[in-house]
Amino acid sequence: MDVKETVRLWSVRRLYGTADRTVRALDGVTASFHPGTLTAVMGPSGSGKSTLLHCAAGLDRPTEGKVVIDGTDLGELDETGLTLLRRERVGFVFQAFNLVSALTAEQNVALPLKLAGRPIAPAEARAALAEVGLAERAGHRPSGLSGGEQQRVAIARALITRPAVLFADEPTGQLDTKTSRQVLGMLRDLVDNQAQTVIMVTHDPVTASYADRVLFLADGRLVDEFTTGVTAEAVAARMANLEAVASC
Amino acid sequence: MSRALGLAAGTEATVLTVRGPETFRVSGTVDGPGVYLSDADAAALAEGVRVIGVVTEPGADVAAVASAVRAAAGAQGRVYTGEARGALESRDDERTRWIGMQVLTGMTVLSAFVSVFVVASTFAFGVAQRRREFGLLRAVGATPRQVRRMVYGEALVVGGVAAACGVALGAVLGPSLGELLVAAGFEPVGFEVRVSAPPLAGAFAVGVLVALLGVWSAARRAARVRPLEALREAAVDDRPMPRGRWIAGAGFCALGVAAAFGAAVAGPEGLVTSGLYAAMAMIVGVALLAPAVVPFVARALTWPLNRGRGALGMLVRESALTAIRRTASTATPVLVTVGFAVLITGMVQTTAASFAAARTTTIRTEAVIMPDGVPGLSDAAAAASGGESALFSALYEANGEALSAIGATPALLERAGEVRAVSGSPAALGGDRVFVSPWLAKERGLRAGSALRVAFEDGTPGTLRVEGVAEGVGADVLLARDTVRAHDKAALADVAYVARATPVPPGMGARPADLDTYAAQADADEDRLVWTFTLLLVAVSTAYAAVAVANTLMMAAGGRLRDLRVLRLSGATSRQVLGTVAAESALAVILGTGLGLVVAIPALLGLRSGYGDLIGRHVPLVVPWGLIAAVAATCLVLAATAAVLASRPALTVRERPHVRTGVTVKRRRDGSEIPR
Repeated sequence: MDVKETVRLWSVRRLYGTADRTVRALDGVTASFHPGTLTAVMGPSGSGKSTLLHCAAGLDRPTEGKVVIDGTDLGELDETGLTLLRRERVGFVFQAFNLVSALTAEQNVALPLKLAGRPIAPAEARAALAEVGLAERAGHRPSGLSGGEQQRVAIARALITRPAVLFADEPTGQLDTKTSRQVLGMLRDLVDNQAQTVIMVTHDPVTASYADRVLFLADGRLVDEFTTGVTAEAVAARMANLEAVASC
Repeated sequence: MSRALGLAAGTEATVLTVRGPETFRVSGTVDGPGVYLSDADAAALAEGVRVIGVVTEPGADVAAVASAVRAAAGAQGRVYTGEARGALESRDDERTRWIGMQVLTGMTVLSAFVSVFVVASTFAFGVAQRRREFGLLRAVGATPRQVRRMVYGEALVVGGVAAACGVALGAVLGPSLGELLVAAGFEPVGFEVRVSAPPLAGAFAVGVLVALLGVWSAARRAARVRPLEALREAAVDDRPMPRGRWIAGAGFCALGVAAAFGAAVAGPEGLVTSGLYAAMAMIVGVALLAPAVVPFVARALTWPLNRGRGALGMLVRESALTAIRRTASTATPVLVTVGFAVLITGMVQTTAASFAAARTTTIRTEAVIMPDGVPGLSDAAAAASGGESALFSALYEANGEALSAIGATPALLERAGEVRAVSGSPAALGGDRVFVSPWLAKERGLRAGSALRVAFEDGTPGTLRVEGVAEGVGADVLLARDTVRAHDKAALADVAYVARATPVPPGMGARPADLDTYAAQADADEDRLVWTFTLLLVAVSTAYAAVAVANTLMMAAGGRLRDLRVLRLSGATSRQVLGTVAAESALAVILGTGLGLVVAIPALLGLRSGYGDLIGRHVPLVVPWGLIAAVAATCLVLAATAAVLASRPALTVRERPHVRTGVTVKRRRDGSEIPR
């Protein structure tokens, strides 16, 4: 096995529903993600891109196939084992920010470490907030932060455990253009300067253009991959083509 | 007393004594309760003194006094000091305290049961509302165990604070409750509540324990929330009900029916308490089945609403159906209360009716003479109307233990018809030949021919010969009437049997009555106590249900304000919005009431037929519908009020200022806002 890969999927299948009415959300996907790269997963609605992210991140279990994160086979872990792996090795950023509304920004950032029962220096959470440019907002609750600020807090929280891989599900889905650019620029910096591995799902070609590599999904299968010439225009053209096929 | 009766020294007064009316001359008035007679007169009316109290000076050495008294009394008496004096408590007080114990036990068990229920249903609703929050915690690395511990922790904090408040309140109100219990007749006069630390600490611990027990299932459910649920827009819990729950629910229902039947067979003594357990088992069963039953019934119940033209009917039906969890959470406490109220009041009243029915069939005379405002009938009263009566007295075993005794004649037993000889012939009753009750025969190993050594009420020792065992005596030992009278001048009868109703001369403290009147009044005092007890239990459970219903609706309303505002913006008047909310909560209460009846009525019918078979007679099913209606109405009014009050903020059509524009608020299918 090539240990250089942070995340690897082998023929992953994910079926939903009952015996008589099955939905194939993923239909045999094999892919690998290398350290220090930013990968975008794209596809029309219902193509299985979110399911791919959930299976790769250990939030969902594949019906068939194997997922390995940082050398650990997820299939061999029970629910608690999976939780511990996610806590130690995986970070998440979601579309809906997903901060605990009762906690301040600083407490939200410290939450994963607290759940892990690790001693946490007060400076640690503040430093993580400073990295995303929110040092002076540490005491605010989510309701007092803008959408962009909330998403940056979520990123700080995802990175506090120094995860092997950061998953992002439509990270800019609820942000305006300017804040989107800020957040994406920040993700790009993480990859370039700290060799962070990032996998993000998006349907927005501009967002995808920040990636090193773009994977295209349709009907639960990988149908294309851009590794060079990742521009918003090229991605948009390929997407338009996929959507046209999907709507036939 | 002299003032109240207008008596002065020198006047003559006629007083009803155990020998009948007697005339005394008032020689003076004293500053104390009661009537004072000369020793000679008193000795003619009573059997001497069984207890002599010794009053010590403050600071006296009680142990020294006791040993001096012991030396003086010798073998003729026993000396009791301190706590041991409880052995001298009168049998009436002892019985009253036993009833009080039943009342308090029943209320404690019921409160604990209903609390667990209310906590469980509130937390289940809370966890359902917070699924997304738990999913988020799971996604950022909380293990199922940590989520479970978090829910337990919340219950511990809330339960601890609530238990502390309850303990403080209990310490303050306890003495008043004690007075209430005495006034209601559940505790003897002189009973008082003393507040001390151990019971308060115990109550606190029980309160916290109840909270933890209540959240058990909610905590498990919270721990099962999967991290992905943080990402889903609609977190709907539409999994089918697990098979274990079906089995447990059906099992509890069956247990409840069996227990209801067992309660009826057990007899009057433990009726309320065992009825309580039957009701609780039934209710647990139905509450377990509720997730399967409520949606189905709600759909059927609201079907007509869809037919109407108005928007209100449609809104009420659809929101009650989509927010099935809120509907179930509101309906369950009502189900518990109504089911409980119908079962327990129905059991008590049906049983009282069947006892009365049983009594009229056993008595072989046409009329009776009953005491009229006095503790019992004297021989003079019975003789004046040509009736025959049994006497109540007591016997004392060598260790001082009292046995209840009834003195009767074979002819009297024939007339009363309640006594059945298990062995021996009642005709042999007379002199020292007695019958004993089955339990005494078993406890003391008595058989026909055994000797029973006792002391009579007047202190005379004697040896009784057991002729046989008899049931339905109403006392431990059945003696010849003459034997009782010879040793107890003060013994009275509670009824005299006469061939037909004849007027009783005035001043005898007696009145004639036909059998139905007698049957209805014979247990009136006991029935009144049992009924008060029952009402107390119903009141307690109604109060808990009301709190639970109001609480659920308040919790639900917070998440619905936005929906209601939308309704308002779409052109509904304030009145229409509040009407919808009130109708929704009313629907849930009606649903709960209906299910409560469904629980209780079959159990009651089963009980009635079992009981009818037992006494070989038709027993009427008595349910105090007025009371049940009042319980349901209380829940209805409270639910509607709580829902309307909590929804009022939605009536102003302004947006909340802190909601940011450009952010769509996500909501679950039950309408509650998903916290971000």
